[in-house]
Amino acid sequence: MIDTLAEPGDRLARRLARFRAANPGPGALDDPLPYRRSPSRDLARRLAEAVAGEVVDTGGGVFVRVEAAGSDLPLDRDRLATLPGQPPADRPLVCLDTETTGLATAAGTVAFLIGLGWWAGATYRQIQLLLPDHAEEGVLLDQVARHIPRDAWLVTYNGRGFDWPLLVTRFRLARRAAPDHAGHLDLLPIVRRLFRHRMDDARLGTVERALLGVVRHDDVDGWEIPGRYLGFLRGGPAQPLAAVVRHNDTDVRSLARLLAHLERALGDPVARSSAPRGDLAGLARAFRRERRLDEAVDCLDAALAADASPPASTAVAPARPSVDEPWWSPRRHPDFGGRPDRRLTSSGWDRRQAFARPWDEERIAADRAHLLRRLGRIDEALTAWDALACGPGRTAVLAAIEAAKLREHRIGDAAAALATVERGLTLADRRRARGLPEPALEADLRHRWRRLHSRLVARRADTAIAV
Amino acid sequence: MRTYAPADPSTVLERLLEEPSLARGVVHHEIIPAREALHADMPAWLDPRIVKGLESRGIERLYTHQLEAIEAVHAGDDVVVVTPTASGKTLCYALPTLQAIAEDASARALFLFPTKALGQDQVTEFGELAASADLSIITSTYDGDTPAPIRSTVRAAGQVVVTNPDMLHSAILPHHTKWFQLFEQLKLIVVDELHTYRGVFGSHVANVLRRLLRICAHYGSRPVIVCCSATIGNPSELAAMLTGRPARLVDRNGAPAGERHVLLVDPPIMEPASGARASAATLAQRWALPFLRAGRQTIVFGRSRVAVEILLTGLREALRESYGPRSRVRGYRGGYLPTERRSIERGLRDGEILGVVSTNALELGVDIGRLDVSVLAGYPGSVAATWQQFGRAGRRQGTSVAILVASGAPVDQYVIHHPEFLLDNTPEEARLDPDNLHVQLAHLRAATFELPFEPGEVFGPAPADELLAFLAEEGHVRQAGDGRWYWSSENFPASEISLRAAAPENVVIIDTTPDRPRVLGEVDLFSAQVLVHERAIYIHESIQYYVDRLEWHERKAYVHKIDVDHYTYANRAVTLKPLEVFAEAPATGGHRKHGEVMVASLVTLFKKLKFVTDENVGWGPIDLPELELQTTAYWLTADSARQHWRRDELDVALLGAGRAIQTIAAVLLMVDPRDLGLVTQVRSPHAEEPTIYLYEAVPGGIGLSERLWQRHEELLSGAADLIAACGCEGGCPACTGPRLEPNVDARRLALRLLAELGAGTRLAAAG
Repeated sequence: MIDTLAEPGDRLARRLARFRAANPGPGALDDPLPYRRSPSRDLARRLAEAVAGEVVDTGGGVFVRVEAAGSDLPLDRDRLATLPGQPPADRPLVCLDTETTGLATAAGTVAFLIGLGWWAGATYRQIQLLLPDHAEEGVLLDQVARHIPRDAWLVTYNGRGFDWPLLVTRFRLARRAAPDHAGHLDLLPIVRRLFRHRMDDARLGTVERALLGVVRHDDVDGWEIPGRYLGFLRGGPAQPLAAVVRHNDTDVRSLARLLAHLERALGDPVARSSAPRGDLAGLARAFRRERRLDEAVDCLDAALAADASPPASTAVAPARPSVDEPWWSPRRHPDFGGRPDRRLTSSGWDRRQAFARPWDEERIAADRAHLLRRLGRIDEALTAWDALACGPGRTAVLAAIEAAKLREHRIGDAAAALATVERGLTLADRRRARGLPEPALEADLRHRWRRLHSRLVARRADTAIAV
Repeated sequence: MRTYAPADPSTVLERLLEEPSLARGVVHHEIIPAREALHADMPAWLDPRIVKGLESRGIERLYTHQLEAIEAVHAGDDVVVVTPTASGKTLCYALPTLQAIAEDASARALFLFPTKALGQDQVTEFGELAASADLSIITSTYDGDTPAPIRSTVRAAGQVVVTNPDMLHSAILPHHTKWFQLFEQLKLIVVDELHTYRGVFGSHVANVLRRLLRICAHYGSRPVIVCCSATIGNPSELAAMLTGRPARLVDRNGAPAGERHVLLVDPPIMEPASGARASAATLAQRWALPFLRAGRQTIVFGRSRVAVEILLTGLREALRESYGPRSRVRGYRGGYLPTERRSIERGLRDGEILGVVSTNALELGVDIGRLDVSVLAGYPGSVAATWQQFGRAGRRQGTSVAILVASGAPVDQYVIHHPEFLLDNTPEEARLDPDNLHVQLAHLRAATFELPFEPGEVFGPAPADELLAFLAEEGHVRQAGDGRWYWSSENFPASEISLRAAAPENVVIIDTTPDRPRVLGEVDLFSAQVLVHERAIYIHESIQYYVDRLEWHERKAYVHKIDVDHYTYANRAVTLKPLEVFAEAPATGGHRKHGEVMVASLVTLFKKLKFVTDENVGWGPIDLPELELQTTAYWLTADSARQHWRRDELDVALLGAGRAIQTIAAVLLMVDPRDLGLVTQVRSPHAEEPTIYLYEAVPGGIGLSERLWQRHEELLSGAADLIAACGCEGGCPACTGPRLEPNVDARRLALRLLAELGAGTRLAAAG
């Protein structure tokens, strides 16, 4: 029956009821728990019980704190500081990792668990701060700020792109200034540069297995974490969060162990010569980025001298299943693992390919030859390129071009340059015959040949006239 | 008649009107006299650098409307500026922006344009103004094309940020903490092309602005809003609906204008029996050609991409035969490359290009200077758009000519035969409904994501708590210990909202023409039934696409580009059930009501209709499940007609009158006739009375039905006028709809019914 004269308020309620009846599904969660509102203190108490922490009441609000026993983890800061991108030895380090309600660093994503770690002498200490209720965020953030000294360096894994911007957002929303700090060491790009060649992805779990010999048991999957916390907030059990706290604890511990691994495996120039050659080649690139070219060449020399057999830990199983579903498919699971790496996920496969390319002898030698030229060690560079130009592959063609460039521009021997170009053309022809044409390189070579040739002809003509 | 020698527009027009074959079609010829400029002095508070800058650009004094607008902004009032094309609207918001930054370099302004291209034009113009005033102002465009490294610079340093509603919604507001410099110092928000924010899109944008103002309040700023609009019937109301705040109306145009001739032209009837008319395109060409030959800059508007190409080919062909300036006539439409478009715009400005044939792409504020003649091949769909297109012709001095050539479509015919409708300055209204539940709830999610809600905080007209509690039951929102409402889901709600569609569950349209398929757009399920069924021609930005496959359960439609001379029209079989009456009142012969209804729709077949002539050239079946749509409707009952009408005649009369009312409603409210569905019931199972329903095709409605309910009498008399003025015998597609039974006079029956319902027609009164 239609009723015509109704209070507008009632009408809204009826419209909402009809709205729900007409729109089942799309808006609602799969299995929303019966909605229950409970005071922050109750939530804090339940949370603390589940994760074996303590409720801290600051007077202004409550949060939950979990403190782990300190562990013995010596770190030679002086030696660490000799590596590229590392913080100065006198700065305190604060390792930081957050668990959040989502992946966007936008305003509605909350960091509900902030794990912090720092060194007190040779002891690594860890503390975790948990948010029992949205309303208590200000108090929690004040506490986080207290643990970050002004002169400290943050140590994170993908924290530059994710954890830290997210925390800055949270501080701003809570009308607070984000804590000052002296620097930020994000280990993700370092790991990618040094070790990616022997890992299938750069998730922290994979890194632990490949480098630290740590295998996590009963670890919670990243994508499950937001749901566990939000379920708790909506009145669900707190128990599932115990595993999240464990997961975060391991993450923060791994940051420290990873630093220690870097220092021990690569910090000492003599000791590092036994490292896998790919690690050394990656380290060389890291040195090169900082324009420490001599150290870069040393690394490459060590790499070339190193045992060519692949490192034992190559066979790390892929941690994430291959993605067959297209990005828009609703069946595609959101990948919460190892923090999203924007450049890897958004800009296509080519970067991934580049990282996965093995560090074979040829590639290392090419890097080395480039470096020698930059250092002005022209003769050595030329020798290196000439050696490479004897190979069968694409690199040989490239090497011929590079050697020709050096002969033409640095040494000033046009005739020798022409001969090198001709050798390059022969190599390219051979590849073409094998069905592997290199049109861009061939064009480069032909262009070079024409220029050198005409110059030589002109010079000969000049000489002839002079005679 | 051949005019090769240069001649001024009035001379050419005189000669054309002496040509009987052309003059016969002129239904109305109006001469709008020239208007003197109304000047005002620069206000004393304006920064001397700005005054000097304006002087260096030859602007010594302002027009009165410009002064009125900037004085209002100076006083801290919101303004809505409504003046015709090229009346110097830019200064109305550029001057207050320059002034604010001149006073305080940390001040910020946000310019919103509906499209990217318009935004870029304005950036250039504003930049020149700022440079002439010797102010270094960082003006940055922030849209989908802005490269990532530049984005952070824009966030931190952009003093004037130019963007569009979609970017504001999905990229700026959810990340407002990264934009805090902007929001803390935001002094001015400019909403240009206000009239484009109507319907579903407008309802969404209204909610985006609610979110924007909420964020500003959080950062402690209270920006003034300047809206600029083309001429529409309800600018103040639209601005208030969109921004939620009252705005001062500035509509007394102070810009000068030369004399303008407006001609309304009706193509001759070719087949008296069916009422079929000659093509508007052909006739438009005949009117445009003599002006081009006389060296007058002319713009011809076609209604679709295809129409533009046909017109362009025709004009060039005719000019070639007569050795006219063929190469100086160009086409302009979506799908042309940006550089090509820019060069055409430049060519028009400096006079190198003589004629241009365009879609409505040139209707908005793209700067092409002023031309002499504007010819419209077909009514553009609204009075506002018509005047925007007319406005392309009109120099500050000298005569200009604007010609509207009607097509045979019902709306065109109504407009052309009611010149007062176009000329008496009562353009249609733009409607939107920011409180549409689908739209409002979606944005309430996004707003909660952006900032928690205080208990009792308003979102729109009322406190949001009841709606938030509703969302809380779904689980996306929770009320915390402090009583505030927080977002408590891992979803990113802004990404679930498309500003162009009402309901969240949409069909995504995927264009498979390029190597990498791309998403063209989305349509709601209800529209998808008729727009993207398999083998449909889907038109997007006036480009046609053929629907290869519709995967209903996956909610995906795969299309590819196609170029054909027809469109498709799907027949919807609809049953309707009223759910709740929001308002009702007695009317002559019955009642008028509006309220919420449930519409069940089944689409079973489609027709292929030729452009222009609407000739049926084929059909096909559609196999899709029935859909239910909850929406709002306006309906009228003919209580008295139940007793003394023959049932079969009443059936015809209701349908005929309903069709005419639907046409008038679409005209009055500036919507596509397809946005309003029609259902007639001789004996409504619910009302027991003969009933005509007009329901909104958008889930939840966008406020059209309430307005129709208010304008009931205008609808009825308009419908009666439309039918009475139609030259057909017994009903035609232009008035009562296609004739279903040849021997029934639908026209007479519909008129009789409308008279009983109290329609007072001027024609009936005159006869």
